[in-house]
Amino acid sequence: MKTNYLFPNRFKRIGWFIFFPSIILGIIWLLFLRNSDLPWFSFKVPALIDDVLFSETRFFVITEAVIMKEVLAIILIISSLLVAFSKEKYEDEYIMRVRFESLLWATYVNYLVLLFTILFIYGTIFLDVLIVNMFTLLLFFIFRFNWKLHKLKIELNNEK
Amino acid sequence: MKNNIRIERARNNLTQAELAELVQVSRQTINAIEQGKYNLSTKLALKIAHVFKKSVHEVFELEDSDWNTSL
Repeated sequence: MKTNYLFPNRFKRIGWFIFFPSIILGIIWLLFLRNSDLPWFSFKVPALIDDVLFSETRFFVITEAVIMKEVLAIILIISSLLVAFSKEKYEDEYIMRVRFESLLWATYVNYLVLLFTILFIYGTIFLDVLIVNMFTLLLFFIFRFNWKLHKLKIELNNEK
Repeated sequence: MKNNIRIERARNNLTQAELAELVQVSRQTINAIEQGKYNLSTKLALKIAHVFKKSVHEVFELEDSDWNTSL
């Protein structure tokens, strides 16, 4: 069989387990913690580029950073990828088609929302939009694909 | 494309789930094919016909409208 670029089925459950706490933490971070310094999360880390406001941009340096948001973002992205792209129990050609359509749908919705915000949101709050937009493609896909699968399951129950 | 999977299932006394199992797909897939919502692959069509001990043409049939659509 051709490669289908999906993770094995068991990773979906692992993904959900990490996904829920990390998205809740992500929302909490976005709403409350963003501007607060959490010193216990401060580490020296290698940076390809380090750019501090009102000072020069430095390349290939070790810098001190509060890496809570980085850790959160990485965990959220990885868990979203696992949830989104782990095989279903029966990943057959029809499920692949539903998956493909959902990915297409999610991409359109994601960029429609982004276009809308580009037009109608100004100022520094747009940075928030960009932060959220890093995750929404996968979130929209996860929502739409699982909703479709759920609908198919309901149809099956009506069939019997 | 028309198919008479439902009739053949009845004739062979198979549920959607049992047919799905025999051709290694999900029940959702069999249901979608029966309802004409999904154009299946050649391989799956051959497998389904094989289970019913029929040729593909006896289970699946082209419709005139199939000549006018790309998907």
